[in-house]
Amino acid sequence: MKLQVGRNELLSALQAVIGVVERRQTLPVLSNFLLETKDDELIVTGTDLEIELESRARVQNIAPGRITVPARKLFDICRGLPEGAEIQLESTADKATLKSGRSRYSLACLKADEYPAMGQVADGRSLTLKHGQLKAIFERTQFAMAQQDVRYYLNGMLLEITANRVRTVATDGHRLAMSEVTLETGFKEATQIIVPRKAIIELLRVLEAGDEEVTLKIAAGQLQADLDVVRLTTKLIDGRFPDYERVIPESGDKRLQANRELVKRALGRTAILSNEKFRGVRLQLENSKLVLQTHNPEHEEAEEDLEVNYDGGALEIGFNVNYLLDALGALTSEEFVMELKNADSSGLVYALDDPSSKYVVMPMRL
Amino acid sequence: MSQRKIVHVDMDAFYASVEQRDDPTLRGRPVVVAWRGSRSVVCAASYEARKFGVRSAMPAVRAERLCPEAVFVPPDFVRYRAVSNAVRAIMLQHTELVEPLSLDEAYLDVTENKTGLPTATRVASSIRTQIREELKLTASAGIAPNKFLAKIASDWRKPDGQFVIQPADIDTFLPPLPVGRLPGVGKVMEEKLKEMGVATVGDLRELTAVALEQRFGRYGVRLHNLSLGIDHSEVKPDRPTQSISAEDTFAEDVLITALEPTIRSMAEKTWKATRKTSRIGRTVVLKLKTSDFRSLTRSHTPASPPSSCEVLTEIALSLIDRVDEDPQQRYRLVGVGLSNFSEAEEVQAKLFE
Repeated sequence: MKLQVGRNELLSALQAVIGVVERRQTLPVLSNFLLETKDDELIVTGTDLEIELESRARVQNIAPGRITVPARKLFDICRGLPEGAEIQLESTADKATLKSGRSRYSLACLKADEYPAMGQVADGRSLTLKHGQLKAIFERTQFAMAQQDVRYYLNGMLLEITANRVRTVATDGHRLAMSEVTLETGFKEATQIIVPRKAIIELLRVLEAGDEEVTLKIAAGQLQADLDVVRLTTKLIDGRFPDYERVIPESGDKRLQANRELVKRALGRTAILSNEKFRGVRLQLENSKLVLQTHNPEHEEAEEDLEVNYDGGALEIGFNVNYLLDALGALTSEEFVMELKNADSSGLVYALDDPSSKYVVMPMRL
Repeated sequence: MSQRKIVHVDMDAFYASVEQRDDPTLRGRPVVVAWRGSRSVVCAASYEARKFGVRSAMPAVRAERLCPEAVFVPPDFVRYRAVSNAVRAIMLQHTELVEPLSLDEAYLDVTENKTGLPTATRVASSIRTQIREELKLTASAGIAPNKFLAKIASDWRKPDGQFVIQPADIDTFLPPLPVGRLPGVGKVMEEKLKEMGVATVGDLRELTAVALEQRFGRYGVRLHNLSLGIDHSEVKPDRPTQSISAEDTFAEDVLITALEPTIRSMAEKTWKATRKTSRIGRTVVLKLKTSDFRSLTRSHTPASPPSSCEVLTEIALSLIDRVDEDPQQRYRLVGVGLSNFSEAEEVQAKLFE
């Protein structure tokens, strides 16, 4: 294989894929990128056997070929070269040589035939939506995904597609985030898949805010997302996501409406003196007044008094302050609403005038 | 805010008294606890040494000059701490709300007390008696509606005495005092106040809160409040709560069927006291003492800690059924408590269960 490529062009292709390459490997070849030429493009593939990422770079002076090279080393070298540098890449049976100006690097290769590529997802149902749409529903829910939970089906995001909407749901068992976008999907039957956490994080790295199209293809145990220059293929989590609709509370009779930024900032400040382990914040509501209180084992205390819209009667309830901050941080509206029932029931947070994202937070006994 | 009952307990010449207690040859003699050395200061002086003008924090060299016959003893803080803990244990028998200021003094909030003594004065004298009998040491106490008055009061009948400032006494007691007796008023502040023509608390009362605030900022407001005998600062216990309970001895021994009203009121008392700690008690304890002085306890630990006074009361009442004594058995005392407290006070509820 032989090719010439601009450093910036190559770097952005490697950058899109490097995240999936784990630093510690069970199989040596997994720490390598697969590089192959196709027409006037170089295709870069990285995988951890669960998720495969593929990106493309426009290259010149091609002699076709297929090699694998140490991923992180190639990435670091490329990143270290000056902007705008030209790179020549050439391979023999077990070596790849990278030249740029007066720099020369020789990298050890592994056989391309041994590379465990997932390839194209065959005949599945597909759905096309805009980058910005997918990015938004991911961003508004991803923080609620569990991490290394024994309930493995929580370590990912539920993607639910019905005829006229796409919905994401994530929960760690203490709080739940849900967001949806309305669109004609062409799906006649409701479809639920659980996308692994890492795949969501990787997709968020490459999704843009704009109107470019993303095609999602769902087939037996796999999801493939085609984003023009990047393609992600992931195995799905085989499990039953909890019946999330059951835990989204009915309209609570105690309704708080307030300026989102104001409350978020006050929560952020009181969080400083909350218990580092439990992160509890006490909310006291009465007659248009919200009092936030935290304290910690060092006997430090914080209290914030806020004017809010509330006439639901006196209520005192505790929450993990991080959960509230996450929810308020994910919303973009000026005003938000929080519905409550009593000190033992969950709270429901959403934007005023926009119920497309909802956050359910279980209380905390303080 | 309802009327609080605060006691300030101050051990008399604490370190020196411990030394005299533990070494009979020192009794009756002027004892000065201080390190050897030219720059050392006096940690404590016995009352015999104080007659010569020896005071705490005075250079040891000066103390030696004032009282050449004094016995100088190096401090042994390990021993003082052990004694201090024993004093604390006595206080904790009366209330969980003990705020130690140092090894030798503490504030107690006895608004709710565990022994059922009717007045704070009785609680204070009971604590002092226990300290004298169990530890062979003397303490002075001040009893007042707030911390700052209690502290002034404990100094009033020192050593080995106690003094009460009733809410009604404040206006006759405070005005004649020099401003230096107020917490936070040191030499510098005293000088500044003197320039304003203020020497006594009474003088201070002549100034408006606004004037004081303009001159001294937030502390000015505090000064104004102090001059009126107002101090809302709470007694903050430093020791994590292990258990909270309330008990009552009946005027006449009663049958088990007559316990309910008292259990209800004791549960309420206990619940009120738990509101003052951030920790959560998980085990409900019912305590009974029979007319023949046998103690019985029955306890129950529900799946989730009692979350209200009603739940606590209900569990306490249900524990009566677990007492399998003769129905004719009479009881002289009943108590309701919460124990098994833990710092895991913040219990996150779950979505799916």
